[in-house]
Amino acid sequence: MIKDLNFKYHNKPIFNNFNLTIKKGTWVTVIGPNGGGKSTLIKIIVGLLPAEGYIAVDNILKNKDNIKEIRKKIGVIFENPENTFVAETVMDEIAFALENLEMNKEEIKQKIMEVSEYLNITDILEKNPFQLSGGQKQLVALASVLVLEPKILILDEAINRVDYLDRENILKVLQKLNKEKGITIINITHDIEEALYGDDVILIDNGKIILNGSKELVFKEEKIFNKIGLDLPFMAELSLNLMYYDLVDRMIFDMDEMVDTLWK
Amino acid sequence: MEIKFENVGYIYNEKTPLAKEVLKDLNIEIKPNQINAIIGKSGSGKTTIIEMINALIIPTTGRIKVDNFLIEPEKRIVNIELLRFQVGLIFEFPEEQFFNSTVEKEISFGLKTFKYKTDEINKRVKNALQMVGLDESYLSRNPHTLSSGEKRKVAITSILVFNPKVIIFDEPTVGLDSNSKNNLIRLIKMLKNKYHKTIVIVSQDVDFLHKLVDYIFVLSDKKIILEGNKYEVFSQVEKLKEHGIGVPKIIEFTHKILVNKGVKMGYRDEIKDLIKDIYRHVT
Repeated sequence: MIKDLNFKYHNKPIFNNFNLTIKKGTWVTVIGPNGGGKSTLIKIIVGLLPAEGYIAVDNILKNKDNIKEIRKKIGVIFENPENTFVAETVMDEIAFALENLEMNKEEIKQKIMEVSEYLNITDILEKNPFQLSGGQKQLVALASVLVLEPKILILDEAINRVDYLDRENILKVLQKLNKEKGITIINITHDIEEALYGDDVILIDNGKIILNGSKELVFKEEKIFNKIGLDLPFMAELSLNLMYYDLVDRMIFDMDEMVDTLWK
Repeated sequence: MEIKFENVGYIYNEKTPLAKEVLKDLNIEIKPNQINAIIGKSGSGKTTIIEMINALIIPTTGRIKVDNFLIEPEKRIVNIELLRFQVGLIFEFPEEQFFNSTVEKEISFGLKTFKYKTDEINKRVKNALQMVGLDESYLSRNPHTLSSGEKRKVAITSILVFNPKVIIFDEPTVGLDSNSKNNLIRLIKMLKNKYHKTIVIVSQDVDFLHKLVDYIFVLSDKKIILEGNKYEVFSQVEKLKEHGIGVPKIIEFTHKILVNKGVKMGYRDEIKDLIKDIYRHVT
């Protein structure tokens, strides 16, 4: 939850009395034009940028004394995972944060195995993280965060540079984490198509929330997207067009479901 | 302008234990005055190909003809700077290379380095700015404070001042929102139609490519496995997937209709045309 947030950058106000509540366990996709304030907002939430106002994470109001406690609840994955890699093997990379918590070796190993099996990366644990593909690197970054058992996962343009097949794989893994483990996901992206994997969509422009709601409702606002100059996801645009001709009666984001509905 | 790869091969770290062959017996003929695209998974050698066109990388076997230049192993290229004036290369995230305090200094930096006269520099900067659609008020601005879309335009302008015949873009849409992508599409089409540039784009963003390319080369397993216009290439949905390459959403959907219902739809560029086809089939 964020209340009355104010933030200035070089004396230019970015957020003015900004309010936002994200429900526990949802997958929220934050979209908006470049420079609209998406990434800045996340940096404020995790305390990388100072701002005025109130931020509460998991019912704890953020202050100077509990910032560490709050950060433990949040795992952040950035666009270039190799910028944060420090170890020579994937195993050591994932273990790094746990070692800093002074956890014993047996416990560390067990945790790593558990998470690697879940993400299906046990076969690369002995490899050098720098030599992996873009998609594998992001899975390693994800594993390093998941061993700390965060309640919230924030992705900041995290799959921007990932190949098409790897991208789909990662989005499906995230879906599994969200549904099975109840982890709240906040995905900031300029690729609107990614929003279809989640539940809610927030459209931010010029430091203001323009739209906030379920993807079914948000993507109906075609005129607002046109005005800002953003395209809708392909399946949303297709649904709206088919609804106009009475060929379907609702938004359908899954291609198979759409084909079955049209040719029933 | 002719760009032709003849049996080109490339081995990174040749003759060392780390040697890695990325291209083998590659034959490509870039279509002049057209928008060409090279697609393939990351690590397939796409960037290696485009860096060879302006001789940043020299092939280990075979040769490349670029206009009157011949790029081949162990041969010195005479007047290499002329080749590089003719082939402008815009790297991925070009704005990360900005190092000047104003847009004007950033754009004119290359020309100054090659000792162009001030009048000529001013004329070229003015023309190039006009081509990308930025007004002269940008000249005094700090390039680091611009939006992502504007930064890309400045980077393109700094290449256009050399008046290249060929412009190569490496992953031009990474990090751009759809608004900036649509502006880039208009700009690249204009560079081709109005200024008759040859364009080569390396990109994984197939939905972007679908809106502007004339001819596509598909790179996999060190060679070109498929080439043709976008209809010929993107209709090979299964083959592309086998090689880890996606297809534009509109093609993916019409392919689903074919696979799930056995109904063959035409190849459509726009949703509104596809809707008409669907309407005819289901009502």
